[in-house]
Amino acid sequence: MKLTESMLRDMVETRLTAEEIGDLLTMTGFELEDIEVVEGEKVLDVNIMANRGDGASVLGLAREVLAKDPSAKPTSLFKGLADWTPPADADAKDVNGLASVVIETSDCTRFSCRVFSNVSNGESPAWLKERLTKIGQRPISLLVDLTNYVMMETGQPMHAYDLAKVPAGKIIVRGARAGEKVKTLDGIERDLLPGEMMICDQSRPIGVAGVMGGEETEVSATTSACLLESAHFDHRSVRKTRKRLGLQTEASYRFERYVDPEGTVRAIERFGQLLAEAIGATAVPGVVDVYPAPPVRPRLRLRPSRASALLGMPVTADEIERYLTALGCTVERQGDEFAVTAPTWRIDLEREDDFVEEVGRIHGYEKIPEALPIGTTPMGGTHGPLEVIDRVREALVRCGLTQCISHSLRDLHALDAPGGRTIVRNPHSPEMAHLRNSNLPCLAEAAQRNGGRDLQLFEIGRVFSPGVEKPQLSILLTGALDQPSWRLKDRPNADFFTLKGILDRVFAAVGVDATWSLPKETDLRFHPTRSAELSGVGIAGQIHPDVAEACDLPSDTVIAEIDLDGLTRLAPSVTHFHSVHRNPAARRDIAMVVSKDVAYEQINAAVRKAAGEVLEKHWLFDVYEGRGMEEGHHSLAIALQFRKAGNFTDEEANQVRDSVVAALEGLGAKLR
Amino acid sequence: MESIRQLESEATQAIKAADSTASLREVELQFLGKSGSLTLLMRQIGQLPPEEKPVFGAALNEARKRLEDLLAARTAALKGGERAQQFGAERIDVTMPGTLPRTGREHILQITANRVKKVMGGLGFVYYESPELEYFKYNFDALNYPPDHPAMDAQDTFYVSDDLVLRTQCTAIQGRVFEEFKPPFRYFTVGRTFRNEAVDRTHGHTFHQIDAFMVDEGISMAHLKGTLRAFASAMFGGDVKVRFRPDFFPFVEPGVDYAISSPRLFNGKWVELGGAGLVHPNILERYGIDTEKYSGFAFGLGLDRIPMMNHGIDDLRYFLENDLRFLEQFA
Repeated sequence: MKLTESMLRDMVETRLTAEEIGDLLTMTGFELEDIEVVEGEKVLDVNIMANRGDGASVLGLAREVLAKDPSAKPTSLFKGLADWTPPADADAKDVNGLASVVIETSDCTRFSCRVFSNVSNGESPAWLKERLTKIGQRPISLLVDLTNYVMMETGQPMHAYDLAKVPAGKIIVRGARAGEKVKTLDGIERDLLPGEMMICDQSRPIGVAGVMGGEETEVSATTSACLLESAHFDHRSVRKTRKRLGLQTEASYRFERYVDPEGTVRAIERFGQLLAEAIGATAVPGVVDVYPAPPVRPRLRLRPSRASALLGMPVTADEIERYLTALGCTVERQGDEFAVTAPTWRIDLEREDDFVEEVGRIHGYEKIPEALPIGTTPMGGTHGPLEVIDRVREALVRCGLTQCISHSLRDLHALDAPGGRTIVRNPHSPEMAHLRNSNLPCLAEAAQRNGGRDLQLFEIGRVFSPGVEKPQLSILLTGALDQPSWRLKDRPNADFFTLKGILDRVFAAVGVDATWSLPKETDLRFHPTRSAELSGVGIAGQIHPDVAEACDLPSDTVIAEIDLDGLTRLAPSVTHFHSVHRNPAARRDIAMVVSKDVAYEQINAAVRKAAGEVLEKHWLFDVYEGRGMEEGHHSLAIALQFRKAGNFTDEEANQVRDSVVAALEGLGAKLR
Repeated sequence: MESIRQLESEATQAIKAADSTASLREVELQFLGKSGSLTLLMRQIGQLPPEEKPVFGAALNEARKRLEDLLAARTAALKGGERAQQFGAERIDVTMPGTLPRTGREHILQITANRVKKVMGGLGFVYYESPELEYFKYNFDALNYPPDHPAMDAQDTFYVSDDLVLRTQCTAIQGRVFEEFKPPFRYFTVGRTFRNEAVDRTHGHTFHQIDAFMVDEGISMAHLKGTLRAFASAMFGGDVKVRFRPDFFPFVEPGVDYAISSPRLFNGKWVELGGAGLVHPNILERYGIDTEKYSGFAFGLGLDRIPMMNHGIDDLRYFLENDLRFLEQFA
């Protein structure tokens, strides 16, 4: 909210400069967003907290200054508004023949109005136009400008109707009926939903309650009598209607944040006073004031001991009494405690701790000391499944991969996982309507952004399918694994086996022995004969050539997708030690010719089984096919390394080798 | 005795004539080795008359010592030259580029999150994660948002259904933690949040937050201030000061906006980091916690802002673009 320095000084006498007032307001919670000189005067722009509608007025901000600055004094204008009592003629009935009000909805708490006759709705006086202009409002006409100005002063939104255009001066506040429309002041005809709160004449809506008046009943240059509305509407109802209509106004802004229901007649009086100053007195005696159930504020207990304990700084009972009284609370001492009643403009003060905040705010948060909490400390940090994911990521980095982090909201992509999608109902743009169901599209785009070649990327992020959100690891490798170098004539490219090696390492890092098998289901993103399922929690392989073409990636790109919840479930919580023998190892190499139809995994299993416990490790160190080899066969050279407690004799080592050879012969292999 | 002199003279000649350490080694073997001539002479000692033995032995040892010294000196002289020649031949251009190992790296946001986790873990807070696609009730209701309150306007929300939203704040962990655990406790999260906002250099519709809260006996605003200072000092370095300013968040009472000042950031200017306060008593009561016994604090801040402040990154959009030229700048 914007206000000029002079508007504030009309209410508070203080030695503080405008900048100092701005800082003071900031430290009460009303953050000074900007202070600028407009036509020779400083204008403060203050941010109003969502629960402090009372701050959206000069009166409210002045109250904060008075509470916080011990040297500040209230002016007569402030006192007149703060200590306002109903005018002597409030009960006069003269107005009854001219205007009447019926409230038919519980969303209207109070409706006050007054009639001003013999008005001439010309231009506003210079001082008024100047002030409104300075705070960024366009002067329109005297009646309109005064409603706006008094709203700025007191926080009470008001609306002036041309009395001649309201048949018999009869106002009905009710919910809209099906099919009703109203043309608002901005000239737009608006369709109304049943129940939306309207100000109506006897037959139809003439304004949207708390939001905007109607065009047909607005005051004009020819208006001679005006009906001035000053009402209180339920903040939830106003918010709902203005949101649906997409119509944020100064009035709705205030009603949503709560307006003091006790201030309606006071604002009418202030309006009358300023109107009289401008064009002479014109008010018809008497106020129509329908106020079925004035809200009652409860008396609440406040313990100074609790205030000091929660704030972490000592505050005395005297200080508490002073601060709360300055803010408009009624404070009674009851022994060591207080009974406090919040003012009618502060519905945010609902319980003891709310008053504690008020005390702290005015006392000054800068006085709070610093302390570290003691007491019961759990074991801090990352534990359990979340820690497994940390280890996965660290293993990937050790394997030379670069981590990407991408948007979750995105467009459809050729690398999306099969299955249903989760879609945002109100997307930022159509290209960001889908929640990703795989991180592979993100990696494909990251690869393209970085040249599309010679990249090793991974992403760990949440993926979404209807009803399921889970962390997923995706990997994309393409092109050379090493940086170009004068020392490397031949740079190897990533392929399926590179990817397999990385995944074996990553799984091993969390204690899982990856098992690779043929995919049970067809995944159209993968090359059908160069992909595999691993451990039931993921799939890895070369990209399908059609998909590679569709997303403009090299056809030898390899990709993987791992469900990290699944992997976490496989990860053991403890890794058990096995003893390390100090005796030297024995090594035997064998070369076997075998049909290519025999999967290496079968050979692997046979080797392990035949060699037994003494097999420390074995590895495939050569594969030969071609000349001299029977069609459909290849020669596999396997190194066997044995170790046990005690030395191996040559004979013992040979025996183990022979049993391995015999086992492989059982698979149809021949010793080469 | 004559034979000693003669052999010593021959050996001295040979040592002087040797032109490499290799030929010197041959000379050494020829005279002083296991079957070298001087060694063989020593063995003849047994055949001498007893009175000559000491004299002959002494002379032989002296001669041997002289030759050994000469050999050592000559070896050192020759070796120096030979090494110099070797080094000349083995010269490389050390300014040529090194062979880069295959190195992976974590994303700068990950590096930042890792640091946060270390620091918060050290302060006794347990890391917790909750869904990004969250129930409305955890994002708002459980956090004491009154139905249809303007406080929700600051957070334009992406809806998937009436009940499911993309969480607008990581504070959404609170309700889940309260349902799962009983105080005293300390939890924190680092995660992704979404708001349907216009995108520019400092605003994105997708960003990341840190959110922490604890509940224990006797927790006050002073503990909040002390914890924030410890956290901010660890993240930003320098002698950090913390300043509270009243602000409104439905889930805290009192609620504050906190700013920090460090000589290492913007010449000590106050920088607003996030919102904080004491956990609202309505929330504690909602989960059956005795507000006379327990109180707690909560704070949140943007993860993305930490590297922006520490490295002077001026555009939030870099973070989710995965441009390696950007990512490779951070170790």
